[in-house]
Amino acid sequence: MPIVTKFSDLDLTKQYTYADYLLWQFSERVELIRGFIKKMSPAPSRFHQTVAQNLSGIFYTKFRNQQCKVYFAPFDVRLPIPSKNKEITIVQPDLCVVCDESKLDDSGCNGAPELVIEILSPNNSKHDLDTKFKLYEEAGVLEYWLVEPVEKMLLVYTLINGNYIGLPPQTEGQNIQSRLFPLMEIAVTDVFENV
Amino acid sequence: MSIVTKFSDLDLTKQYTYADYLLWQFSERVELIRGFIKKMSPAPSKTHQVISRKLTRYIDRYFEHKPCGFFVAPFDVRLKSNNNHQIITVVQPDLCIICDLDKLDERGCLGAPDLVIEILSPGNSKNEMGEKFRLYEENQVKEYWLVEPFEKTIFIYSLQNDKFIGLKPCIEGEQIASPLFPELNFEIEKIFES
Repeated sequence: MPIVTKFSDLDLTKQYTYADYLLWQFSERVELIRGFIKKMSPAPSRFHQTVAQNLSGIFYTKFRNQQCKVYFAPFDVRLPIPSKNKEITIVQPDLCVVCDESKLDDSGCNGAPELVIEILSPNNSKHDLDTKFKLYEEAGVLEYWLVEPVEKMLLVYTLINGNYIGLPPQTEGQNIQSRLFPLMEIAVTDVFENV
Repeated sequence: MSIVTKFSDLDLTKQYTYADYLLWQFSERVELIRGFIKKMSPAPSKTHQVISRKLTRYIDRYFEHKPCGFFVAPFDVRLKSNNNHQIITVVQPDLCIICDLDKLDERGCLGAPDLVIEILSPGNSKNEMGEKFRLYEENQVKEYWLVEPFEKTIFIYSLQNDKFIGLKPCIEGEQIASPLFPELNFEIEKIFES
């Protein structure tokens, strides 16, 4: 297989694998969803950026010197979605926490992170609210957080018997409730600081 | 108790009851949340209005020949509180469905509706997602929809074992999927068309 240097040389109707993905050397950021290419938005909004920064700061402090490791986009996560070709789903979550070190390698994470956080942006929310929601559920990501900067709400979905169950929406003035990290004290207000 | 004609005559730090509420004759729209006054936004945005009308159209069609009441704000819903036989909570949900017709009287609804729908709008959402969410759960509203105009998404919370459980968000390209009214059908994107 040859190296691909132009995004336009790819066939968006075709299914690719992680082996192909490793040979792509163009500047566009893409994800591979069940083999199909999904181009990511060129640059997320300012609110997206602000929330990402806030979360980075908070998570960096909380998980410093902990067994669980925190990674921020761009960071490749190969999700264990069953298929004939082994690795055909590679996503770049805004933030993820990986507690099982054996999943980590030089290229990123090979397996489901324990926690994934996606920050919604108005034109791209379908991808996070639907496509990735189903993927993370199927891959066994234990908790999925959706951060909504306009209403300043945080939605936490916990995996129970293979299905995501949503906790009550969390808003400013309370601490984030997570079943996965019940002792982690994060104020919702801090997530939306300067938004 | 006397009639109150000016909103500014009320004490926002005090707890009131439904009996007080009935004597308020000012133009401001308020809700009473566990006795405390919560002023509503003066007039909801255009988007809010459009979504409310579209939801009304589809829901009305479904309930036309069903033995349930369907009401659109302003419509008073009086909720009971634990350890208090006086009514100290009166809310005005954007839309609600009540299938126990005994709960209905000329003043509105006394008791929990089966389905409550609130349309989020910035500045007002915290109440819908926080205090009202807990109130509806506590009063055993069977299903609660939060309609989010920016993400064009409907978040459905379904009461299971006395707690609201969040389902997979309903997004554009999908049909509404209500566990309570599984035959209620409309396309999500139709609701958000301007």
